[in-house]
Amino acid sequence: MTATAEPTHGPLPAGIMPATAWGTARLLAGTTSGRVDLARHRALHGVPRRADAHHLAAALEAVGLLGRGGAAFPVATKLRAMPVGRRGHVLVNGSEGEPASHKDRTLMYLAPHLVLDGALTVAHALETERVTVVIEDPSAFSSMAAAVRERTDARRVRLVPHDHGYVGGEVRAVSRALSGGPAVPPGRRVLPTEHGIGGQPTFASNVETFAHVALVLALGPEEYGTVGASGEPGTTLLTLLGDVPHRGVVEVPTGLPLSALVGPEPGPLLVGGYHGTWIDRPGELTLDRPALRAAGVPLNAGVLARLPGGTCALGEVATVAGWLASESAGQCGPCFFGLPALTDTLHRLASGRATTEEVRRRAGLLPGRGACAHPDGAARFVATALPVLEDEIATHRTHGHCGRPLLGALPAGIRRAAA
Amino acid sequence: MSTGTSTGTSTGTSTGMDLQIDWTRCDGHGLCALLLPESIWLDDRGFPVFRRREVPEHLLPHARRAVAACPALALRLERSAPRPAPHPAPSHTAPSHTAPSHTVR
Repeated sequence: MTATAEPTHGPLPAGIMPATAWGTARLLAGTTSGRVDLARHRALHGVPRRADAHHLAAALEAVGLLGRGGAAFPVATKLRAMPVGRRGHVLVNGSEGEPASHKDRTLMYLAPHLVLDGALTVAHALETERVTVVIEDPSAFSSMAAAVRERTDARRVRLVPHDHGYVGGEVRAVSRALSGGPAVPPGRRVLPTEHGIGGQPTFASNVETFAHVALVLALGPEEYGTVGASGEPGTTLLTLLGDVPHRGVVEVPTGLPLSALVGPEPGPLLVGGYHGTWIDRPGELTLDRPALRAAGVPLNAGVLARLPGGTCALGEVATVAGWLASESAGQCGPCFFGLPALTDTLHRLASGRATTEEVRRRAGLLPGRGACAHPDGAARFVATALPVLEDEIATHRTHGHCGRPLLGALPAGIRRAAA
Repeated sequence: MSTGTSTGTSTGTSTGMDLQIDWTRCDGHGLCALLLPESIWLDDRGFPVFRRREVPEHLLPHARRAVAACPALALRLERSAPRPAPHPAPSHTAPSHTAPSHTVR
């Protein structure tokens, strides 16, 4: 496991971004020459260690592993909430419906066996054979399917294509789709660990979480904790976008200053992707989920973006707001009507026909008014942009535009498949 | 829109009951806001906005009527999640009530 500088792997399929490890390569170990097949994986990580649920939870707690899908829930707590026995399911969520994020598909494409090791480790601990992996990206799916064929212990693993957009990738929506229902979040609060796939207890987490589970057992908690921040040791995957020194997927130790990742200079920075938070400079923030959450800037699924100086920043925000509106599942009135209204108000703000206060009021009506956190996240994305873009907004208010073109630095392709 | 009779921080005697709504069911009929204006008002599309979720003693009969009147069966009264402190949690006067379980992705 050595430090790598530049990605040297061959041509990558569409959708898979170049991936680089800065410092210690763990998730991305061996990926400089491309996809890690089973032989190479075993040479790098050894035969997967097994543990019972009690010992696995203790090991995960020792390193404070947090879920990597966005909610940053303690993985040990989730594991302890699961009953042990055949009824249980393990659900690996690789839906990654956020167009700004590429880390999950990249990990599944480059290091599929690490993800499978983690999923099988959890299944072993829970004494179940029911493992389901949902995957949106076709290249990631092919790589995972090849990995399942390469090994003998993954025959029972079920791979399911899942292309139901952003809200449809929310874990309860995934669980519902796998149970034969629509891929939308349920209206009542349910926990997957109590009522998941087919109504059975389900341990569900993001693909990166499972890869870390495999690493914690392969390395042992002490070795795992030798890099990274004390609050959240180890490494993390990020997707870096826009005007940053190195665009793409990176694996970095936690605890790095954000300025090392996106550059120290001021300018509109997005932390946590399209349900994330805008800040005006990296300041003293460091890459540490608990610390970032305490600072009011949750990392979510690990997307960091810096808007290029040459783009219309307000237009970028409005474009993503429009995408978020298009991703509403349409179940809940406040979201279905509120997000398009918010987008419309943003466009009117950009042409000088609405005030910041009107946008703030629209955004303020969204939180807590949906079956899932989509309206909350969209409101945060828009509301936190307003103070950061104060100067740009003033220019728009005066002139009806800022004179800069919309470069589309924040990808918001409407790529939703028919449900 | 200011129709609230609940002014200041006084929330009345706690009943341990919260208003909950299944947003996937709510069609914005608006009866809840008519029957319980102290707790609920409507946005410009007619969907409810909660001034507060907790139902104090003196509003409990009105809250029950509002729940019973909901044509979509979207509004419910549920026992509040257990709170560590004996005094009521900060009231959700702003329309922000994000349950942690809603954010699991």
